[in-house]
Amino acid sequence: MAEFTSGFFMGDKATNGRILVVDDEADIRKVVRMTLQKAGYDVLEAENGEKAIETINAGENRLLLDVVICDIRMPKINGVEAIAYFRSNYPRVPLIVLTGFPDTDMATSMLRQGVVDYLVKPVEGEKLRESVARAMDQRELAHL
Amino acid sequence: MRDLTDSAVVSTLAPTKVAILGAGRGGTALLDLLYRIPSIEIIGIADRDSQAPGLQRARDLKIPVTEQAEELIANHGVNLIMDVTGDPQMERVIHLHRRPGADVLSGTASRVLWELVRHEANLQAELFHAEKLAGIGHFAAGIAHDINNPLQLILGLAENLVDETDIKTVHEQAMEIVEAVKRTSAISRDLTQYARKTSARDDVVVWLNGILDEALKIARYAASFHDITVVKQYEAGVDVKGNPDELLHVFVNLITNAVHAMDQGGGTLTMTTRAGGGATSVSIADTGCGMPPEVLSRIFEPFFTTKGPGKGTGLGLYNVKTIVNKMIGKIAVDSRVDEGTTITITLPSSEEAPP
Repeated sequence: MAEFTSGFFMGDKATNGRILVVDDEADIRKVVRMTLQKAGYDVLEAENGEKAIETINAGENRLLLDVVICDIRMPKINGVEAIAYFRSNYPRVPLIVLTGFPDTDMATSMLRQGVVDYLVKPVEGEKLRESVARAMDQRELAHL
Repeated sequence: MRDLTDSAVVSTLAPTKVAILGAGRGGTALLDLLYRIPSIEIIGIADRDSQAPGLQRARDLKIPVTEQAEELIANHGVNLIMDVTGDPQMERVIHLHRRPGADVLSGTASRVLWELVRHEANLQAELFHAEKLAGIGHFAAGIAHDINNPLQLILGLAENLVDETDIKTVHEQAMEIVEAVKRTSAISRDLTQYARKTSARDDVVVWLNGILDEALKIARYAASFHDITVVKQYEAGVDVKGNPDELLHVFVNLITNAVHAMDQGGGTLTMTTRAGGGATSVSIADTGCGMPPEVLSRIFEPFFTTKGPGKGTGLGLYNVKTIVNKMIGKIAVDSRVDEGTTITITLPSSEEAPP
């Protein structure tokens, strides 16, 4: 049960929430982490869809992951496939797409699948934090 | 089968034997055009200037050259004498020396012919350019990815710097921004170089390994290289004589096709260069979907494409073939469904003659 000893789970609300950032570029993961840590979030990283699925299925993440921020163009399992997986296996975890490619068709299809936001890089820190806060609200609602 | 039989009959007919007088720009263009037509045999080309470009070209093509137009005009085998010297005296020389039965194309007729040849060359150049630009349309996703990712890094770091107090971190992140800007500006440099019109410059010695690397860089915008392993099997110092812009275009096309063929589940792209026996070869091999024989037999036809509407012009391999033909090269395609495709281009090595 060691995996269930995080401060958050134990009621000591040390962080505002746990976010998984999925992007194949380490630079992007780094700046998104920086931006979100400033707002008090706990950030996990995955470099592709396959790693993201591994991460969400690992131990306490299954229960404690609040929001996933996911790129589209990635090796192994790409963003579209990963998001489909999250939607069907973890429908309560809100998703945010953060992509380099402004594609209206893709955005429409993603929003229809229930992603909270379709953000196109470069996105300002403030906007990203707002989007995450909105996703967190959805998460809270889902728990009610 | 009927078509095959008919064309076999045509090709066994005696070819028209042509003599070309004048090896300047007109003569060279004519030579290049006629050389590719199977029913025409070029008996020889003449020019008073032993350094005329057409004579050099003819030597490369193993076509007899002479500085004595009279010899060529009097040649027994000639059916047609094409005079593109632009020299008014030449008509008299032709009429003095030609054998009965040899037709003559000269004066206004040869000027019109020269115009047609030049027109065809211009159309070909326009076609290359149009196809290249159409291809660049498909680069959008790759370009957006490669520009917006560093922009996200730059923005994130800059936002952090606004209230960063640790001087060491400020220094490090400022340097990261500088590097990210450099990477981003390289994108527009690569692409504008590629997109410009192919210059009609003279052939130069081109190092194939360098051109292949450049083509790989460009092709990364056109196709997603995720899950693709790139293997380079280069022989050092492999060169050919040609137009580097055209060669770059050839390899961008072949690499893009190879990667597209592997878009389901990835694979290995192998680029090989070899030299020996006066020839140079480049192979682009993929482990992708391959092509059935009915597709394979049509891939060099203009406007033939298996890509969806708006995804391919059907001119890529047609242009590849045209460029390779012009360089007196050969293309071999080996493809198996679900195993992959290897395209090998063999070109004459550049024999760098001392000046």
